[in-house]
Amino acid sequence: MANIFPRGSNYLPIKILVCLLVLGGALTAGISYYFTNKYTNVGYQPVQPVPFPHDVHVKQVGMDCRYCHSFVEVAAHSNVPTTQVCMNCHQQIQKDSPKLQAVRDSWQTGKPIEWVQVHKTPDYVYFNHSAHVNRGVSCVSCHGKVNEMPVVYHSQPLSMAWCLDCHRHPENALRPVDQVTNLDWVPPVKPGQTPAEAQVAQGLELKKAWNINPPDGNCAGCHR
Amino acid sequence: MSKRVYQHPTEPATGKKYWRSMGQLSSSPEFQGWLEREFPQGAAEFHGGDVSRRNFIQLMGASLGLAGLGFAGCRRPEKHLVPFTRGVEWSIPGKALFFASSMPSRRGAVPLVVATHDGRPTKIEGNPLYSATNGASDLHAQSSILDLYDPDRARFFVKSGKKADAAQFEAELDGLIQGAGDGAGLVFLLQQAESPTRKRLCGLIAQKFPKATWAVYEPLSARSGNRVFSGGLQPVPRFDVADIVLSLDCDFLGAEMVVEQARQFSARRKPSAGAKMNRLYSVENRFTVTGGMADHRLRIPASQVGAFAVALARELGQRLNDASLSGVVADIQEGPVKFPADWIKWCVDDLVQNTGRSAVLVGARQPESVHALVALMNASLKSFGKTLVGRRVASGPVSGVKPIEHVAKMLSTGSAKALVIIGGNPVYNAPADLNWAKVQKDFIEEKKGAVIHLSSYEDETSRLSTWSVPQAHYLESWADAYATDGGYLSVQPLILPLFDGWSELDLLAKFAGQPKPTGPEQVQETFKQAAKPADFTVSWSKFIHDGFESSLAAKPLELMVSPEAKDFVKSGLKLANPAPGEFEVVLIADAKVDDGRFANNGWLQELPDPITKTTWDNVAQISPESARQLGVETGDLIEVSVADRKAEFPAYILPGHADGSISVPLGYGRDFSGRVGGSGVGFNAYPLMTTSQPYFVTGAKVRKTGRKYALAVTQEHGSLEGRGPDLLREGTVADYEKNPEFAKTMGMDSHAHWKTVNGKKSEVINPSLYSHPPLTNQHQWGMTLDLSACTGCSACMVACQAENNIPIVGKEQVIWGREMHWIRTDRYFASEGNETADPEMVYQPMMCQHCENAPCETVCPVNATVHSDDGLNVMAYNRCIGTRYCANNCPFKVRRFNFFDYNQRKIENGGLYKWNLTAPKGTEDTIKMQKNPNVTVRMRGVMEKCTFCVQRIEEAKIAKKVEARDSNNTRVAADAFTSACAQACPSEAITFGDIKNPESQVSKLREGERGYRLLEYLNLNARVSYLARIRNPNMKMPGAEKIGGYSRDQHHSAVQDKSVHSGGSI
Repeated sequence: MANIFPRGSNYLPIKILVCLLVLGGALTAGISYYFTNKYTNVGYQPVQPVPFPHDVHVKQVGMDCRYCHSFVEVAAHSNVPTTQVCMNCHQQIQKDSPKLQAVRDSWQTGKPIEWVQVHKTPDYVYFNHSAHVNRGVSCVSCHGKVNEMPVVYHSQPLSMAWCLDCHRHPENALRPVDQVTNLDWVPPVKPGQTPAEAQVAQGLELKKAWNINPPDGNCAGCHR
Repeated sequence: MSKRVYQHPTEPATGKKYWRSMGQLSSSPEFQGWLEREFPQGAAEFHGGDVSRRNFIQLMGASLGLAGLGFAGCRRPEKHLVPFTRGVEWSIPGKALFFASSMPSRRGAVPLVVATHDGRPTKIEGNPLYSATNGASDLHAQSSILDLYDPDRARFFVKSGKKADAAQFEAELDGLIQGAGDGAGLVFLLQQAESPTRKRLCGLIAQKFPKATWAVYEPLSARSGNRVFSGGLQPVPRFDVADIVLSLDCDFLGAEMVVEQARQFSARRKPSAGAKMNRLYSVENRFTVTGGMADHRLRIPASQVGAFAVALARELGQRLNDASLSGVVADIQEGPVKFPADWIKWCVDDLVQNTGRSAVLVGARQPESVHALVALMNASLKSFGKTLVGRRVASGPVSGVKPIEHVAKMLSTGSAKALVIIGGNPVYNAPADLNWAKVQKDFIEEKKGAVIHLSSYEDETSRLSTWSVPQAHYLESWADAYATDGGYLSVQPLILPLFDGWSELDLLAKFAGQPKPTGPEQVQETFKQAAKPADFTVSWSKFIHDGFESSLAAKPLELMVSPEAKDFVKSGLKLANPAPGEFEVVLIADAKVDDGRFANNGWLQELPDPITKTTWDNVAQISPESARQLGVETGDLIEVSVADRKAEFPAYILPGHADGSISVPLGYGRDFSGRVGGSGVGFNAYPLMTTSQPYFVTGAKVRKTGRKYALAVTQEHGSLEGRGPDLLREGTVADYEKNPEFAKTMGMDSHAHWKTVNGKKSEVINPSLYSHPPLTNQHQWGMTLDLSACTGCSACMVACQAENNIPIVGKEQVIWGREMHWIRTDRYFASEGNETADPEMVYQPMMCQHCENAPCETVCPVNATVHSDDGLNVMAYNRCIGTRYCANNCPFKVRRFNFFDYNQRKIENGGLYKWNLTAPKGTEDTIKMQKNPNVTVRMRGVMEKCTFCVQRIEEAKIAKKVEARDSNNTRVAADAFTSACAQACPSEAITFGDIKNPESQVSKLREGERGYRLLEYLNLNARVSYLARIRNPNMKMPGAEKIGGYSRDQHHSAVQDKSVHSGGSI
């Protein structure tokens, strides 16, 4: 009696298994890369209603972050400036620039400017700006070098694992409180140290001196 | 060390016991269901929905397929940040702002501080600057924030049933005012309130329209006027001075509660070295919160309180040799009802021995003659100026205020031309014999009169009025008010009227010939006239900032019994003579909806009544003995008829109720009151109320209808097996003096192995197999609950609901045991054997105990409930997959599960049961505005429970860190903040704070004498401690030996078999 299945089918289970393994591996790899914050969020750079260049305002004009983001030290939310704040200067400077038409319209009509949100934590995360900037965590740690960005983009993943990296090792981010809004600050490097080592050394010192103890095992620190 | 085994004794069949319901005593299957499971059989099933479990799976499969096609969820939605155009003063996005205000009520305003988030008022607290209340508030103040956002509030000006607008109304109003001449035929019907500005405006109107008629109507206030004391004063008790209090049907901790008085009273219920406890005697027909707190309680029908007062006055006159007092009652015939003579004798003995430190209080709605007799007794006891002070109560907005029956007569005879009803709802709540609905209808249709009704809701009266005007909430309007203790308070708006309502003062200002106020100008005018400030701007700003002005407070006055008081007693005191088989019906104030005005507040409707634990309904409370005679059970509909008036109510057998008496709360069975409390919620008792019998109605016939009614009663929810005596620990002052730490080693804890320090048992030695991470944080949070001070008023439950975004679930869901309250107030009765006639009542607030060795944490398969390093048992909602294992394993049954999307779906019309894609989603926008932005709004399938207000903890910690900046002191100061329940508690029974900080109140109380923890021997290491309840019985009184003694030797008497309860090693 002839075989019902051709000879080649003996290898079929192995072939299927190999295919499944490859497919499964690809799927796992794909998800673990493409579904992460790092892939989905980093680099997000939406077009804003007003082309506000952070680099010009900080690097050229020398403004401090807190001139516009004025409540960052007192509130959980770091506010986006009111139209009034823009107009403080732009009543005199560049007052006819077409780029600022939206600001002038808002000022005249009273209708607010709708800035597109770049950095967003999920709504079950209660991130508090004031708790970080008052305790030596710089803007640059989460937002990147905004002072060099003509258009703001998402620079860090802002995922939970990324948050916890820092909550478990705050020494990697701590700096003197008066240098928090200086995004170009680097720790003083002693001879024989790499900059990273200098940061850790200084960070550990500050952590001890200021009693820095961020919630790491405490879910309620961020989720309420 | 060998293993230790604790055998739980079974609940004793006889002997002293704590129990929650008649069902528990008879061990009904329903009760067994509640006892053995955390939710009843079938609670996890779909009921009445359009989806069964099977086709649910099918639909889920289909939806997965659909979702796979689009990948719509993979795009990041564009979100916008929208700042103000111009900065708003004080406003910091995301930070709360606090403003002082106060909530006007007929008993006096409650001083408040209201939190606003980005312009939305979100939470109400008591004003901590006001020393008399010290930051405490009450149930109605807590719940009033929801009324502000009620989407069912009156939104439009309505003329004869048609929508109109404000301009049209103002034009017609101006016409009416101009045509009113000297005011003859112009009638104002107001509610009771003590606002100096209202009084001033009414005075102006009275000058302009001297012939106008003024009337005040409150269904739940005394209708007899203030003739008992000279000068129309009213007595205000001073519980800080009173050592002995006798309450004759006066529910001063419940329906007649005033925050500052409850605070004074409770402060005297906490024994400690050097502080003398007060003693409370209570005489009442039904169990009230006050009766539950009483050291001695006597149940008699409400109509017999007058007769009891006579018997008391006789004994008192004899004891004091007071011929004048004896003379007043000498001629009054003794009634047929006999009162226990030794009860009266020893009660009077106690009052007399404490002359000048004792007070007799009488319920506001008892007849004037009883008030007069009690005033005379207090005069003999020399209470005036000591335990009772006088307070001038504005008898009305102007002098010569008429009762409501006068208004009804004017309307029906046609001598009235226009009726202005400001607040109030007479069509619903006027006495039945006035036939108000018909009178008002005829007045408009036949007499061509005009009725203007200013009302928060389009209610029964609005629908029969010419003009219905939406009324602004007190958080939307400027006003002023007096507190009960005389403080002059500001009422400050926090938001512009959401629905363009007018305030009472707006309407009165128009009648006074002034423009409608746009701001505080009318209140400022009153303030200027009264305070005559040197610098107005500074004084006014301070008044608004603090919320009160001490220099304008009304001073306590001296009380003098008026000369006619004796005549009121002699001529007015009629002793009720009940015929056999007839009942008295007592129309009581509801603890939740009051006279019906709060009927559309879902938080209040779903709050279990402090006594009956009924939600979403009112019930006819009846004693077990009367129920046996009538053959009714709880849930049977009974028909109550008096003369030709009839009403139906569901019966509720209430242990401790007087026989021959039925108590029915008013305020339910509304025809029109929005979607929450409208028709179908409860039963209307007003048809039984008449002008001559506004409180108790005698001669009622009761008939069983044979029909049943489903009640949502929570008294058996969360029952804990056989652990009543172990959870509740009480004793008397004598027990306490003998051993102040008696509570620590009661019940099963007596068998625990205690570490002894200096001869005292300091802590239980509990070896543990389970090692948990060390609690290293510098803060360790804990709470104490003082069972001695807790009255069971349930203000904490609503405060928690407001703070933590807890949804309401509706009556049907409550029946299934799905209510969401994070804190519940367990009400227990205590008695010997199965005796139900005269039990004692004990409250125990119960919430997550934050066990350090939490049984819930070990069973969670996804680590959604874990321990934090500061000792909290925290819930990570996002991790929770809804297995409910944690709730199964919780020994206190305090975990709550979101069976449905209560925050997203409509509760009414089966909206919860419709499947996702078919049900309309979303809640009213205004309801969303109330939510606390710092607390997650939970979705379906998530477990939740008390968090110790973790958002407040984190806020305090962060505030301290911000303050510390580059220094190392990040420790939150002792008692810098507290939880929502502790802040609201009017009796200061709840204390919250850092137990690791020796300065904090909570650490002192926790380590203190009366502290004990629940189920200590199970090694739970709970963070919540209870302070044992101490009672102060007069040992000469009959039955005194039983009082407060139910847990004393409970455990030992219960267990016969010594080997079982030895707790030894095996």
